[in-house]
Amino acid sequence: MSHPAVERAARERRQVLREWEGYELCAAYGIPHPPWALAHNEEEAVAAACGLGEAVVLKVSSPDVVHKSDVGGVLVGLRGERAVREGFRRLRAELERRAPGARWEGVLVQPVVAGGVEVVVGGLRDPQFGPVVMVGSGGVLVEVLQDVAFRLAPVDREEALRQIQDTACYRLLQGVRGQPPADVEALAEVVVRAGELLVAEPYVKELDLNPVIAGPQGCWAVDVRVILDRDVPSVGEGTGQTSSYTQDWGPATAE
Amino acid sequence: MVEACGAAPQGLDAFFAPRGIAVVGASAEPGGPGHQIVAQLQQTHYAGGVYPVNPRATEVRGLPCYPTVLQVPGSVDLAVVVVPAPACLVVAAQLASRRQQRGDAAAAVVVSGGFAETGPAGRDLQDQLARTLRAAGIRLVGPNCLGVADAHTGLTTSFDLGPYPAGGASLLSQSGAFVMSFLQWARPLEMVGLCKLASVGNMADVSLTELLAYLAEDRCTRVVGIYLEGVQDARGFVQTAARVARRKPVVVLKPGRTEAGGRAAQSHTGTVASPDAIYDGAFRQAGVVRARTVSEFYGVVRAFERLPLPRGGRVAVLSAVGGPGTVCVDEVASEPRLQLARFSPRTSQQLRAVLSELATVGQPDGYVDMTGALVARTHGDALRVLLEDDGVDAVILLTPPPAFLDEQEVAQSVLEAYREQPPDRAKPVLVVLTFGDAAMAARKTLEKGGLCTFEFPEEAVRVLARMVEYAQARHRFQR
Repeated sequence: MSHPAVERAARERRQVLREWEGYELCAAYGIPHPPWALAHNEEEAVAAACGLGEAVVLKVSSPDVVHKSDVGGVLVGLRGERAVREGFRRLRAELERRAPGARWEGVLVQPVVAGGVEVVVGGLRDPQFGPVVMVGSGGVLVEVLQDVAFRLAPVDREEALRQIQDTACYRLLQGVRGQPPADVEALAEVVVRAGELLVAEPYVKELDLNPVIAGPQGCWAVDVRVILDRDVPSVGEGTGQTSSYTQDWGPATAE
Repeated sequence: MVEACGAAPQGLDAFFAPRGIAVVGASAEPGGPGHQIVAQLQQTHYAGGVYPVNPRATEVRGLPCYPTVLQVPGSVDLAVVVVPAPACLVVAAQLASRRQQRGDAAAAVVVSGGFAETGPAGRDLQDQLARTLRAAGIRLVGPNCLGVADAHTGLTTSFDLGPYPAGGASLLSQSGAFVMSFLQWARPLEMVGLCKLASVGNMADVSLTELLAYLAEDRCTRVVGIYLEGVQDARGFVQTAARVARRKPVVVLKPGRTEAGGRAAQSHTGTVASPDAIYDGAFRQAGVVRARTVSEFYGVVRAFERLPLPRGGRVAVLSAVGGPGTVCVDEVASEPRLQLARFSPRTSQQLRAVLSELATVGQPDGYVDMTGALVARTHGDALRVLLEDDGVDAVILLTPPPAFLDEQEVAQSVLEAYREQPPDRAKPVLVVLTFGDAAMAARKTLEKGGLCTFEFPEEAVRVLARMVEYAQARHRFQR
């Protein structure tokens, strides 16, 4: 059985999950993320912001937008009712201006996550390799830096740690220029969970947890993008092949 | 030639240990590939039967020739087919009849090209060929390949590869030219001992993955070197390689670094996930050594074939050449998996005792510059001291060898020190001979004696780094 968010998208013939649907999927696989609330109007946004913390992030929510920053759809570090109200209106105006015709579903409200290293944890289903997980330097420069390492999923914690060590990002995680070291164990756990997600959800084609903020005590996926296979069968057609990917690398015997 | 007797070989053994080989399409005149294959089998003194098959000849190179495989009297476990592609279908049908009638003919190597590599029509031909053979229970290597060889028994289906020094390196290749280049390059100085070889061509039936699993069980195979272009089931290949790597080193050369991702991706992950990047990670996960260049592939396969595995990455550099020695130290320091060894006080003291006063020891750590003030046996004396230090996992020895010394004496001195090591605690020694072709004779002696030689210091350092990488992966698997 696929996750309900995947099933819902399949029913609606959508290939991209909404961000909050992505969080639901993450939560089901134990991938930590900041709490969120979907606000349909300014009042809801203000109420949500009060409950979530001192500074919040507002993100546009639209099933037609894959890259939020391309439509000016992310506002970070808003404090107080006025800023939240203004932010809400601004996101709506920007969407109308930059993506005419895109559906408006409201605004996602989340607390600001304290500083850490920006990491990308990704996954994809490759026709030749099956489920694969990736980790490396995150943020908007993923494609420029190409500082990432891959593994076939699933991976265990130890392998995920070696995977992280394959990247230059590992040195950042150890703490540079007076920064405290990040919780690498927690990051490895996110990689493990992302692998489990890819293995168990056969219709997830691509997964971006980008960035994952790796802080001194824990990691949080602060943005998530989930792309489904074009040929998602409608509900009830079955999801047969989930159990074929194991971590069986053979008996540990040597000559 | 007497026919080898005994039971029919099972599985892929029919390719590597056939009681008899039919060479279908062997011409009476020299020059054709079939004729050449018969000639190679005669030169290697293959112990099984060799049966030329050709309706237009009665004798090939002194051997009776048969019109079809159906007339061959002895056991034919393997048929090598070199007739043009369309005629291969006829041969396949004859092999199928023979298998039904006689129970042998379990394996076929189709050398001929003109199949899937040429386009849709060739693809159809290949499908028909594979279907006919599969229905008859006959396994197929190829088409479009050099086929198989075993240097220990003299088995060969290649028109290029005759007698070759036998050893522990087995090679699998998606390019016949690649594997032949390696073997011919290494031949004059006998730098690699060949075990089994398979050039797989279009892989209509037997795959790289299946052959790799087979070689894991092969007792003569110490290392498997693979030239990989691509396989359909990359995951299956990597998982098999991982299982094999727990028992013996698997070295892969896989071109395709510049290949674009080609994925119409909507995510960062999909965009940066080139097949090459995924292979890279998967090989690391599997403990497979990925060589970056052709020369690294050659070097790493050679080293695994004859040297013991290092237990760690602590390297001593023993040099009779100042400049190249310094470069070597530099290269060691820049390899993340290697460290310069710290000599024990006892080692430093013993080194000073066997070396000239001009020599420098442990400056920097791990480095010994013997200088030119030395005799032939100084090489072995200093090497012996380093190999006995528990803080040294491997030695890179650099020598011209000096023109004022007898190069054979230098080589013998090094070999003696290397061979005195207790087998269960032996450490690898990589020898760099900086005088190139002028040092050929010494190089050959060292290679014949079981050492691995190089022309350039950085080559030796990279090879050693890959060995350490494998040793660490294997250690991980054994926990």
